[in-house]
Amino acid sequence: MQNQNETLFIQHFNEKARPLDYYLKQMSGYSAAKKALGMSVDDIISEVKKSNLRGRGGAGFPTGVKWGFIPKQSAKPKYLVCNADESEPGTFKDRDIMRYTPHLLIEGMVIGAYAIGAHVGYIYIRGEYTREAKLLQQAIDEAYENGYLGKNILGSGFNFDLTVHRGAGAYICGEETGLLNSLEGKRGEPRVKPPFPAQAGAFGGPTIVNNVETLAAIPFIVNKGGDWFAKLGKLEKSGGTRLFGVSGHVKKPGLYELPAGGVTLRQLIYDHCHGILDDRKLKAVIPGGSSAPVLTADEIDVVVDIEPMMKIGTMLGSAGVMVVHEGTCVVRLLKRITKFYAHESCGQCTPCREGCRWMEDILHRIEDGHGREQDLNLLLEVADNINGKTLCALGDAAAGPVTSFVKKFRADFEAHIRGGKCPNA
Amino acid sequence: MPKCIIDGREVEFTPGKNIIEVAKEVGISIPFFCYHPGLSVVAQCRMCAVEIEKMPKLQTACSTVPTEGMVIKTKSDRVLQAQKATMEFLLINHPLDCPICDKAGECDLQDNSFGFGDAYSRYTEERRTYMDLDMGPVIKKNMNRCIHCTRCIRFGDEIAGIREMVAVQRGNNTEITTSDGRALETDYAGNYADICPTGSLTLHDFRFKKRVWFLTKTATVCEGCSRGCNIDLHHDAGVIQRCTPRENLAINKYWICDEGRFNFHYVNDESRITDPVLVEAGHLNSVEWASGLDQARKLMAGKKALVLLGSDLTQEEGKLLKEFFPKHLPNAQVFHFGTPGVSDSKSDADADKILKRKSKTANLHGMESLGFKPFEKAPAGCEVALVIRGGRAVVPALNGLRAIGIGVFQKEHAKDFSVILPGASFAEKDGTVVNFAGHEQKVARAITPPGQSKLLPEVLMMWINQKAVGAA
Repeated sequence: MQNQNETLFIQHFNEKARPLDYYLKQMSGYSAAKKALGMSVDDIISEVKKSNLRGRGGAGFPTGVKWGFIPKQSAKPKYLVCNADESEPGTFKDRDIMRYTPHLLIEGMVIGAYAIGAHVGYIYIRGEYTREAKLLQQAIDEAYENGYLGKNILGSGFNFDLTVHRGAGAYICGEETGLLNSLEGKRGEPRVKPPFPAQAGAFGGPTIVNNVETLAAIPFIVNKGGDWFAKLGKLEKSGGTRLFGVSGHVKKPGLYELPAGGVTLRQLIYDHCHGILDDRKLKAVIPGGSSAPVLTADEIDVVVDIEPMMKIGTMLGSAGVMVVHEGTCVVRLLKRITKFYAHESCGQCTPCREGCRWMEDILHRIEDGHGREQDLNLLLEVADNINGKTLCALGDAAAGPVTSFVKKFRADFEAHIRGGKCPNA
Repeated sequence: MPKCIIDGREVEFTPGKNIIEVAKEVGISIPFFCYHPGLSVVAQCRMCAVEIEKMPKLQTACSTVPTEGMVIKTKSDRVLQAQKATMEFLLINHPLDCPICDKAGECDLQDNSFGFGDAYSRYTEERRTYMDLDMGPVIKKNMNRCIHCTRCIRFGDEIAGIREMVAVQRGNNTEITTSDGRALETDYAGNYADICPTGSLTLHDFRFKKRVWFLTKTATVCEGCSRGCNIDLHHDAGVIQRCTPRENLAINKYWICDEGRFNFHYVNDESRITDPVLVEAGHLNSVEWASGLDQARKLMAGKKALVLLGSDLTQEEGKLLKEFFPKHLPNAQVFHFGTPGVSDSKSDADADKILKRKSKTANLHGMESLGFKPFEKAPAGCEVALVIRGGRAVVPALNGLRAIGIGVFQKEHAKDFSVILPGASFAEKDGTVVNFAGHEQKVARAITPPGQSKLLPEVLMMWINQKAVGAA
């Protein structure tokens, strides 16, 4: 079991931690911002690069490198946007950061904004997180009152205004350019890239979009140094700790903070989460939010981090681990996942708009007892025709589960088709 | 110029042009739906996917510009497979009823399906359906045929300057429609039908009137205003069926306004006078050309004549008349006329931010350059008027002067005239017009003048050559 005191975040995840007072006293709050505002921009970015902090939203792009893409000079205002849309099914880490340690995020954003030269920031928060939006706003108000936001922050001469913007409940607005369109008041549809947001993002200005957990890690990096943070991670390229949201059929579901690259999936499930519910056999694990290709029970001796997961054909994504035990209908599970992506497809590009619904329809038919032998190959081909051919990553997110479920649990699908119903039923 | 390699060929390119355009210049065509050279690039349809060396994923040719040494493959197995997949996706919800669709024969979806799709469908689920929508007097929408390319949305936004087409709902249920289902407001609405790559947006005016493969296209110039937009007249058996814009980046880009688009209707209209007529007590009596001319000359004989020339005439007609009058009607006072309130080129200006000009005739600037003066009011002592026009110039009040008309007249004009000699419209003659910016452009004859109508040179020849009856 992990020692709760060693964690950056989780030890503070309770109601008491929320007020500014706690943040200042127990977490040496805003000392990092004070330090950063006295540092050169290049030094901050170089510390973040050293820290091996990689984006916690799902893509895992090195944060320092991303910040480095922002042009020093820009005719248009620059923006720092926090992606708090947290809409990947199975993911629930950012929510706790925002509701328990909102000042950590605010401080991280002050530092990030200073580093990229932005004076306006937005927290784009998932529409369903009404309570978190309110709590964030309260914390922002507190920060303004105490001179941590607004004009001349901590006497440094640096100005930064921060606004909470609530989404309207669309998964696609977690995609960074979809988010920016939505922020601008347009339809939440991803944009063609290039240009990338660092060149032309919000309102046409150079923009950095970072995940909540990513930005919340920044104050630790500034205070204790990039090297210190990098060493928290157990793999060469991954620094810091990671928040794993474990849900599904485990005895102790919940949020776990562990060193990046420090545990295998088996350790996470059996040691930290106390094993499978009712001590049944493990059937499958979806390791990184519902878009991550599924793993079988034989594949869980893998270190839960970006490269090891990629090597076995899945992804760490947002580190939302969903555990599925024997007796669960994988056809139904896949249909539900596919229904989600079909429902959330924005509809602009052809393969995703048409293909996701097609896959859902086929799966619906199979689950309904009207499957045909050729449906499985058709499913694989449709998924393949979506994968990598869409305008944004939603298509891949929809195709990955279909391909992996059908390939790895083909016998279950075939039993469904031949028997005309679920063999478990 | 930098070079890239497309399908094994070394191709020079202008930096900034996308792969579709660069490939097109050397005769390599890449299929697409959502791309339109006059609109912003959205890379939504994915049809133009190409393979680029060193890039793991296929790239959309519309949104990618070549760089020096880039190796592009437009016909590799991966590309062909992706094109086939995109066609399959686009067709699973599209009705496969081309024979009853008005777009058939000029449909991008049909053409690309034939060129790049599979002959068989694997789709057995229920197709998506929508309600039709009447989008005002110009456009009818059949959403079932829509492939969500969003060209119409972008046209409204970026060209017409009005965001009236929108996408509602999302994902598979996305519907392209007018906001709140209202009628279209733009007076450039016809372009929506031109840019629609399927039979989703069609013209009320044209749909189901004629199969497009029966139509002959004649490239000509619109006579609707002094812009001189380039157009194609589509006609069959002497009847014009529709008018579409023809690309000219210097003048009208890819567009025309609705006024210009539907202007041709008078050409084949029933109310057009196509026989020489004598007007007596409000009655139109058709006569032979000889008697019409006789009567006209009789009226003109020895009188001081006011001659009004429409600025809808061509340069050639203008020059001919310039020589004709001093010789054959020396007493004539000659002026040009066209648009009320826009008597000369100085009062001509842009009428909107898109294409329309204030002068509603095509050759105001040309007629002026020939030395004709604008008509303001009849000089004292004029006893008779001769009006020569095409189909556009608005005949001014003649204050009771007995009048003779040569050219295109409708029955409603007859009350102001004693004799009308039918002439040719812009669609029935060759010639030149000069637009507001001084561009000389060719008007081309698409159809034969209807009925007894004759071209102006022929009318003038007859005027001169027939035995004069009390000639001036």
